[in-house]
Formats: sequence, structure tokens, C-alpha cells
Amino acid sequence: MKKALAWIAILCLVAWALTRPHPLDPDRIPARAPDLANGERIFLAGGCASCHGDDLAGGLEMNTPFGTFRVPNISPHPEAGIGRWNDLDLANAMLRGVSPDGRHYYPAFPYTSYTRMEPGDIVDLRAYLDGFDGVDTRVGGHDIGFPWSLRRGIGLWKMLYLKQRPLIAADALDEHARRGRYLVEAVGHCGECHTPRGPLGGPDRDRWLAGGPSPDGEGRVPNITPHEDGLSGWSAADIAYYLKTGFTPDFDTVGGSMVEVQENFARLPEEDLEAVAAYLKAVRPVESGD
Amino acid sequence: MTRFNTFFACLFLVVPALTAVAGDSPQEQRKELMEDVGGSAKKIGKMLKGEAEFDAAVANASLAVWADASKTFGDLFPEGSESGYDTEAKGTIWSDRAGFEAELAKFAENANAAVAANPQDLEALNAAAGPVFKVCKSCHESYRIDD
Repeated sequence: MKKALAWIAILCLVAWALTRPHPLDPDRIPARAPDLANGERIFLAGGCASCHGDDLAGGLEMNTPFGTFRVPNISPHPEAGIGRWNDLDLANAMLRGVSPDGRHYYPAFPYTSYTRMEPGDIVDLRAYLDGFDGVDTRVGGHDIGFPWSLRRGIGLWKMLYLKQRPLIAADALDEHARRGRYLVEAVGHCGECHTPRGPLGGPDRDRWLAGGPSPDGEGRVPNITPHEDGLSGWSAADIAYYLKTGFTPDFDTVGGSMVEVQENFARLPEEDLEAVAAYLKAVRPVESGD
Repeated sequence: MTRFNTFFACLFLVVPALTAVAGDSPQEQRKELMEDVGGSAKKIGKMLKGEAEFDAAVANASLAVWADASKTFGDLFPEGSESGYDTEAKGTIWSDRAGFEAELAKFAENANAAVAANPQDLEALNAAAGPVFKVCKSCHESYRIDD
């Protein structure tokens, strides 16, 4: 009996150790003056306002099979928002999914993509966010069912899905497409909707960008690989034009949640849109699933 | 008697199928009209995108298709045509009729202005068609099902 208890205690300790959050090494934050123009570029490509709102006050409810997530206030308000955060706090949140008090964030916040971002871009983004007005909107907590309500368990999930490694190897891409890779895989977090998810809610890396059921439960998200189920009929110029104007090669219009994404991308420099297009033409064609 | 019944059963099955092919329902009519509008958008869009040579005659004919369509398009969404025939019309057309009518009015106004502008070069075409394209996008965003 004593022996069994000892084993349980050891298992608990191991689980506790395995699931601990891994914050970023503070040395990785570059000490330099922030570049506000780049901060805005990251803000637009990342689509921060699409979930957090134009005033960044949050409050949007995301209904998922795991429960209801409430999008937090990221305006610079000192209590209701993130006004007291420093660069390292924002970098830990976005690159590691760890809060300033050392807890895991739920991956409804797409840090599985942001984890591939450059810390310098986080510095620029934080300076840009600081330019907003602080909004005193208090957003309630999430309503998550057991066992997902055990936040510490996200540590195990992160072992499976939190990978900095890019999806498409650099040698398959020229420099232009590598910039596109950064925008698609990291900042734009396109894979969060355009890649189907497995039973634990993690992205299915073998079906990268092959589309799937919409995360909000209505309709489907299109396949954007160069497969005939996807964008094989689109030239790189078509993709860039779509992101700029919202019109497909048939001159149909962008729809659904993509409208906001497209309108943000339209404000990026054209070279970024062309880079995204070059990357999307270079990824592996994958057929759509059911 | 059985044969007679079978005959009528067939009649009841076949007649609606035939009318469906004829395309009399508002759902089909508006779809067809929308395809004309889309066809014009593609002709104009390809010129603006640099994929087709500018052709003033084609451009102006396409603008005229838009203006014509805008005259009748709004009549093709009567009560009772909310679903069926794989329609992509969104319920908001009926629940927010005023908003939908406002988009239709903008479509008509901008399409008529584009025809009146009678563009003779690419730049003029861009200026004339741009506001119409804008309405395509905003109206689809609110009043079309996208899956």
C-alpha cells in the first residue's frame, strides 16, 4: 500500500514537471528602439483586431467543442488590459503561450503559430499596441468542460503541438517565399483555420493548409494548397490580387471570416502579398478531406 | 386502376421536375441573373487586372449588364424564396430588408453612374467600375451564405 502511494506520488511529480510552462529566455528580447511601422504591419498580418476587436477590448466568445473561450482585453488599460506588460510578457504570451504569472494559455489564442515569430517583431508590435487607448472592459473567464478545464494539462498538449520548426523547409523556398512562409505559418496563423485539426484540437501537419470544417462550426474553410481541390487554378498573381482586392479569379468576392483577414492584408505592402502567394504556390498539394 | 395511379404518380413527379428545369423559381432566376453580373465582373476585372486587353465596347456592354440587372434584381427575393434550389441567399435579406434594399439602391446608383461615365480607357474604367465592385463585396458579406 505504501509502495503504491509512493508510486502515485512519483507519477504526480513527473506529470507536474512535464506540464510546467517554459517561458522565453529574456536574452532573446532585442534591446533596441521599436519600429512602429513594422509593429503595424505585424498587427495587420496577425489580424489581432479580428478577435480582440478594433479597440482591442476583447469580449468575443468563441464556441468550440472544448467549451466557450472569451477573448481577453489587450488594450493598454493597466487593470483590464495589458498596460502593465513589458516586451518579455508579450513575447512569453505569443511565443510560448505563457502568462506573466506563469500559467498556460489555452491554444484558442494561436500561439502554436506565433511561436515561430521573431522576438524583435513582438517588441515592435507591443509598441504599436501601446498607441491604443486603454479600455476598461473586464472580460470574464472561459467556460471549459472537464478535463480541459485543468489548465496545467495544456503542458502535455504543448509537448505535442507547440513546435517552432517551420512546416515547409527553407531549402524548398526562395527568399521571397520564405518571407511568405513567415507571414503564413507564423504571424498570419493561416493554418489555424485552413489546416484540419485532430481529435485533441491540434493541427494535422500532414494535411497542412488542406482546409477543413470551420472552427466556428458553420461551413468549411477552403483548401489553399496548390491541389486541384485548392488553388491549383490560381496563379501567384491571382492570390496576391485576391488578398489586395477580395476578388477571386472568377471575380467572385471573399466571404465569411476571410473578409476581415483580406481587408487587413490589403493594407500590407504588395511585396508581402506577393510573398504569401509565392509560398502558397510552393507548399505540397494535398487533397481535401471529408 | 393501378396503372392509372402509376400514371398520375409519374405525372406528379415529372411535372415539377420539368418546371424546375425551366427555371421559373425566383431562386433560379436570381441565380441566373447573378451569373450574368458575375460574367460582366470577370470581363471588366480581367482588364483591370491586366489579363485582358482594354476594349471599350466590351467594357461598356458589361457595365450595361450591371445596370440592367440592378433594375430587376430586388424583385427576385420574395417571401417564401428563402430556401431551396441550393440558394446562397442569406436569411438576413428577409430579416434586414431595409439594409438589403440600401445595398441594392447603391448597386443601381453606382452601375448607372458607371454606364453614364462611358469609360474609354483603363483608368476611366477603373474609376467607373470600382464603386460597383465595392457593393458586390459589401452586399455579399452581409447577405450571402458563404461556406
